[in-house]
Amino acid sequence: MVDAEIKRDRIIIRHKGKKWDWMLEPRYWRNTMIWTALLVVFPIISYFVSPILLTTVITANLYAAIAIPLALMTVGTGRLNFGPNFFIGVGGYAAALLSIAYGWGPLKTLPFAFIFSMASALLFSPLVILARGLYYVLLTLLLPLVFMEVTFIYTDIFKGDVGLSGIKLLVNLGRVKLNFLACAYISMALMLLYLLVVNKILKSRYGLIMATINDDEEVAHGIGVNINKVKILAFIFPAGMIGVAGWFYAHYFATFAGITYLPLSFMVKVLLVIFIGGRTQVFGCVVGGYFIAFLEMILISTLGEIQPFVFPIILLILLFALPEGLFGIYRRRRYREYLPTLHVRR
Amino acid sequence: MSEILKVRNITKSFGGLTAVNNLSFDISPGETVGLIGPNGAGKTTLVNVLCGSYYADSGEIEMDGKRITRMKPYERCHLGLSRTYQIPRPFPELTALMSVVTSALCGKKRINRGLDDAGAEATHYLEFVGLFSKRNILARDLTFFEMRMLELARALATTPKLLFVDEVMAGLNPGEANKAVHLIARAKEEFGLTIFWIEHVMAVLMEAAERIIAIHFGEKIAEGPPDEIASNEKVIEAYLGSGWKGKAHA
Amino acid sequence: MWGTLQVVVIYAFVLGSLYLLISLGFSIICGVLRIFHLGYAYLFTLTVYLVWMFMKEFGLGLIPAILGMVGVQFIISYLLYKGVIKKYVEHEEILLTGLLLVSIIVEQGVNYRYPIQAGVFIQTTLIEGSSRIGATSISNQLLVGAGIGILLTILFILFFLKTKTGLAVRGLSQDLYSSRIIGINIEALYTFTMFLVLIPVIVGTLIVAPAWAVDPGMGSLYMTTAILVSILGGLGNIKGTIIASYLIGLTHAVISFVVGEPRFMNLSALVLVMIILMVRPQGIAKSEALW
Repeated sequence: MVDAEIKRDRIIIRHKGKKWDWMLEPRYWRNTMIWTALLVVFPIISYFVSPILLTTVITANLYAAIAIPLALMTVGTGRLNFGPNFFIGVGGYAAALLSIAYGWGPLKTLPFAFIFSMASALLFSPLVILARGLYYVLLTLLLPLVFMEVTFIYTDIFKGDVGLSGIKLLVNLGRVKLNFLACAYISMALMLLYLLVVNKILKSRYGLIMATINDDEEVAHGIGVNINKVKILAFIFPAGMIGVAGWFYAHYFATFAGITYLPLSFMVKVLLVIFIGGRTQVFGCVVGGYFIAFLEMILISTLGEIQPFVFPIILLILLFALPEGLFGIYRRRRYREYLPTLHVRR
Repeated sequence: MSEILKVRNITKSFGGLTAVNNLSFDISPGETVGLIGPNGAGKTTLVNVLCGSYYADSGEIEMDGKRITRMKPYERCHLGLSRTYQIPRPFPELTALMSVVTSALCGKKRINRGLDDAGAEATHYLEFVGLFSKRNILARDLTFFEMRMLELARALATTPKLLFVDEVMAGLNPGEANKAVHLIARAKEEFGLTIFWIEHVMAVLMEAAERIIAIHFGEKIAEGPPDEIASNEKVIEAYLGSGWKGKAHA
Repeated sequence: MWGTLQVVVIYAFVLGSLYLLISLGFSIICGVLRIFHLGYAYLFTLTVYLVWMFMKEFGLGLIPAILGMVGVQFIISYLLYKGVIKKYVEHEEILLTGLLLVSIIVEQGVNYRYPIQAGVFIQTTLIEGSSRIGATSISNQLLVGAGIGILLTILFILFFLKTKTGLAVRGLSQDLYSSRIIGINIEALYTFTMFLVLIPVIVGTLIVAPAWAVDPGMGSLYMTTAILVSILGGLGNIKGTIIASYLIGLTHAVISFVVGEPRFMNLSALVLVMIILMVRPQGIAKSEALW
């Protein structure tokens, strides 16, 4: 069935006539190891400093966990999805409704959140193929807004403005601070898992195929790439991953309201994680996530009420001042591999 | 001998303009067939229809006995059809090596090929066209001739049976043109290809092609060995106008 | 049955004409500047709240307040064009996100200063009361608005067809480089277009303000309609936008009066747009040009 072979510098997996090799290059691991160690240690330190830091870490991990699949979706479909929070809504509501209706715990609702998000993506997948560049932007922009309207319309089911409550908690270790710590590590594990998976995909042959579709679709079609299949898969799979972030929100807060995640204000934060973090560079999403989460926290604690007004202004300034994103500045000095460009108008 | 490509009554119109009008011809395996015609005759449209970028309005295309009229381009590629482009279309953000690796990966289905193996194959093709030393340069930074060679390598890496060469001589100086012709001849021998060669430069086809098809306004006006075509009255009229009719020499 | 038909037709007509006022600007900007003005939503919010601010903070009357608002809007449009759009027209993703941020900034700023409880209300009702047409009664204000909508659209069409500037704008919308070659002043025309589209938006918002909701988030509601109409009609094509406005007006009327569920208006419009896009991916319009 599936054959695995371990050689000195690679792992080879064979299945049904196809072959995948995973190069093991320890010399590239050093930086990743250092940063991962720092990340992993951070929650424990925050635990002893202040609970606000812990919640910010959780928020940051989740922003990154949303941005990373979005980057994969962008590279794979060749366009930027301007409404990723639609999938957060689907995943979160799936988890919330199942938990409230049947009393399921988080582990049981997880696969359903994943599958429902993918199903909703499959439903809207003709968008990826049919909608040209800017039409795609507009229609994906509209999806979460219309979904939000639906949650208001069917307020008895979705409770769009108030939110569903009574969802099972993710972990319950007794003390609130311990819960936060546990959630911090779970969200970090989720983010790191996504990072690993998406990075692997982008560096593999699938990333290469997606790069060719991005660069010149017609030629890619002519050399044997099934562009429609790649695009749809690149749309559905990351959508499921984003839906899992919605699942996390639902079980972490024990409430889930459409109005928190579906309007433009949340969506713009996710988009900015990508832009400030560094476009489609997946490691940049982590940087962007932490940056935006901590920026928000600092502004809320210092400015108070005027924060929703100042925050987008600062984001706008950063957007213009950092065309390559924070990670892009770091990357400039250590160019290593192919980085696909972001196309909007096509 | 079964034909590798059978084209029957292909018609393709764009609005009111009929670009290809009821065209039929055959190609036998191992042949080099040339296609000539003045500008606007419909040559590139014909190749686009045969390769799948457009679908024909009517008519049938058969390759190796299979009907490919409605197949998508990538399916035709998997059956063994490959092409180069008149204006080179490299993948601008990929290196030369990576462009050919993608072809090698996605071309005909072969078992047991990982990314590394595709890389090894790609270097073989790059070496064949002479671009091995430039393999890590971004495709858009290559010179014009190198881009054409890259196009050729990319098309060859899909291990085609039938290769469409679209005006590969355009814009090359005589030295480069010579190299290109020999390269295509070598490719044909080494990889066992059948070549369908669209060209403007008559001298090249005179030597390289065994049979030439001439089209004008989307219709076939002549078909035959090169010297017959060169003295065919209709061909001369199409290229030079009716004032030259009768003044051709044998 | 006959009564319902009357109601549907009348409301389709009125709604369609009002949507024209809202969407025409978005469509024209898309067609001429070839960008998506995702910040378009801020125009609606600013129209209403600037007038309110001038009246309350500076004690101006209604008309001077409106004039002040128009002036400020012109300045902001100009700054937006010069500062944001012109610089980032090459990097579309930055441009779109930036424009989106602009509309959010405006919405949040307005929300901070005049939250929804502040009870903002602009007395721009031109004709009080409502009239009875056939089987239904409809607010006079909306009727007047529909009339003005049609009038403005006709003026726009005449402008684009008959005047020299209009012809230049049409040429610009079709091909940028050819326009440059024949000596059209691209910059001036772009700025002019940004100003031109302010007119239907301001007029439309002022008219519907007393009839429809006024709150800091109103921009996104109108924006959604404008986006749907523009996509359906084919971005940047006036003929298509007109047809699409009435189509969506009809959809809304049918959903409200025949199906009886006015809550589904936006959702049904979205479904309609997606269905039509599947059949005809470039929208209703036959060409990509302005007319």
